[in-house]
Amino acid sequence: MIALGLHDRAKGKRVSAYCAGNSIRKVFVFSPAKFRLSIPSGIDVEYIEWDEIIQYKFYYRILQEVGKDTLLVVNECLRLQNRYDLTYNCLRLFLNQTPHVLVFQCFPLIDRVDDFMILFDFDTRSRWKREGVRAGLLKECQVECSPIDVSLRAIPVATDGATQDAYRKEKRKLIDGLGLKDPNTIPRNLHLLSGKAKLAHVDPGAHYVGRNNRFGLDNMRTYRDAGYPGACTVFEFCHNFLDFSDFLSLSRQSEVPALVSDLKVDQWYLGRCQEWIGRLHEAYSVLRQ
Amino acid sequence: MRLIQSYASRQTVLEAALGRMAFVFDNFEQIIVSVSGGKDSTVMAHLALLEAKRRGRKVGIHFLDEEVCYQSSVDQVDYLMNLFPDNTTRIWLQMEFRLTNATSVQDGQLVCWEAGKHKLWMRPKREDSIKFRMWAEEAQTVRDKRKGFGFYDVIENFERCYSGAAFLVGLRAAGESPNRWRAMVKNPVDVGERKVYWGTKKGANVALYPIYDWNFHDVWRYIHDEGLRYSKVYDWQFRKGYPINQMRVSSLIHERAFKSICDLPEFEPKTYNKLCKRIKGIAMAQETGKTAKMFACRKLPKNFRSWIAYRDFLLKTHPDQSRIRLFAERFSRHLNNEYVARQQCRQLILNDYENNLSVDNKPDPRDELIRYYEEVL
Repeated sequence: MIALGLHDRAKGKRVSAYCAGNSIRKVFVFSPAKFRLSIPSGIDVEYIEWDEIIQYKFYYRILQEVGKDTLLVVNECLRLQNRYDLTYNCLRLFLNQTPHVLVFQCFPLIDRVDDFMILFDFDTRSRWKREGVRAGLLKECQVECSPIDVSLRAIPVATDGATQDAYRKEKRKLIDGLGLKDPNTIPRNLHLLSGKAKLAHVDPGAHYVGRNNRFGLDNMRTYRDAGYPGACTVFEFCHNFLDFSDFLSLSRQSEVPALVSDLKVDQWYLGRCQEWIGRLHEAYSVLRQ
Repeated sequence: MRLIQSYASRQTVLEAALGRMAFVFDNFEQIIVSVSGGKDSTVMAHLALLEAKRRGRKVGIHFLDEEVCYQSSVDQVDYLMNLFPDNTTRIWLQMEFRLTNATSVQDGQLVCWEAGKHKLWMRPKREDSIKFRMWAEEAQTVRDKRKGFGFYDVIENFERCYSGAAFLVGLRAAGESPNRWRAMVKNPVDVGERKVYWGTKKGANVALYPIYDWNFHDVWRYIHDEGLRYSKVYDWQFRKGYPINQMRVSSLIHERAFKSICDLPEFEPKTYNKLCKRIKGIAMAQETGKTAKMFACRKLPKNFRSWIAYRDFLLKTHPDQSRIRLFAERFSRHLNNEYVARQQCRQLILNDYENNLSVDNKPDPRDELIRYYEEVL
């Protein structure tokens, strides 16, 4: 079964109930370190971190140990968009050895709606490994969906002429001097330019999330953090949707305020994020059918 | 116990392989198993030897010793050849041939077991090995005369010494590579009245792959159940947390295998020490084999402005004139952009004159993205 949008506590309860109802001997939890799941005591649980899945020393032992009375919990393992990645392939081999599988994921996608098929493969033991998302096919798996209605609220930040001049110069400089660097460094670096303008709008009583804490603010978190104190305002957007989705999953935020300057790059990041939310809603509507 | 694949008929892959082995012994007088010292060939050889023992027959255990290999692999082959001595014909080839050395452009080829350099050999030749070519000089074939008499030339000439023989190879395709599976089964071979999909025709002989449908864990399960010895390299790699796709015992200096040198001092210090004395480029490969700048060619060295400039420099300064012509001729058929040039640098750095690391010859995908950002930002 695939359960989308559950809280940690709900996941723990779900595991306990499943173990009690199915005479489970042992539980393996596959999860990235920052999404470590807490499961009530009394159950024999082993946690395998995402990076360890492909390691030989874990891979063979797990293959040996997983049997018909083992529950495999795949928690927040939608980390890569390549459906045929080695880590997914290893997971599939574990999943093939037991009928007891619980798949927990906060959001059904990283970037594209088709990403959901990676979770679908986990639940269906990869029987439709080559097919994309379509409503008829989704009947083959059991999906329990608690949609998180994410919305963005832009807080406009005006920039002065000097910043806009600096922006134009920086853009030219970045493009001309790109050389062999990754072209994605152009928007990434330009986006940092609006930081100083946004600094004046930072409320010391609120929490913010940014690329890094280069301004040394006590209330600034980064997208790489393993937890957030509560609702955060986006100080600047991240480039990778996986980071954004991790932030939303860990902070459990639905309405996301964001400081957005009038520079083109900020508008581009805002539009990009809104498109991502659009794809998220599209995924939910496909799953509801 | 679990962990063994089975067919719908409830026949396990082991039972299927035993059936295939019986079929091979029923249909071929001469059977030769090619071994490398890895886990797959260990299983293959053991299955063949068991069947030979049951029937009171002999099988050839064939090992082409390329001199520069793990000592553990050599020990493993020695072990296999002594498992059932009465049923084994030892075919341990220790003869001169050329092997690509990806770690040095100056010493681009290693002449294994080169005459006159016996003091530098990784180890002395064995008493029971075959040291001279078993075929007539005039009948000898060479795939590419510019490259010289290489690894595959030895194999091909050796196989031509036989007629109507079955060469058993521990090649597997299950789980790892659907492409390999397709390649393996697409040209079935006729044996008696049966079409055999786990084999291919090889001149007057056939190559057969009786464990072609085995998985990683089928192999390890068999080794465990039969109490077989296996190469220690697997244990060392296991302890270091190698991913499953990298945990293999292969050659040490080839363009696809040079990374194994990085951990060699830790695994087999004596082998590493001898290798450093035997051939150029080893210490360099040990230090930089896994870094982005050198052999991987993922990062441009800072004194070059572009991959094109770096490629031109590498080509211009290549110590071997014949190789320069070979590479230049090949590159003239490619597009001239940064994306392609980086791959060409990799071929030059790794001395890939055989074109084993293919170049993805297409327009640079970065250009379009840069144009897009210029427009929207």
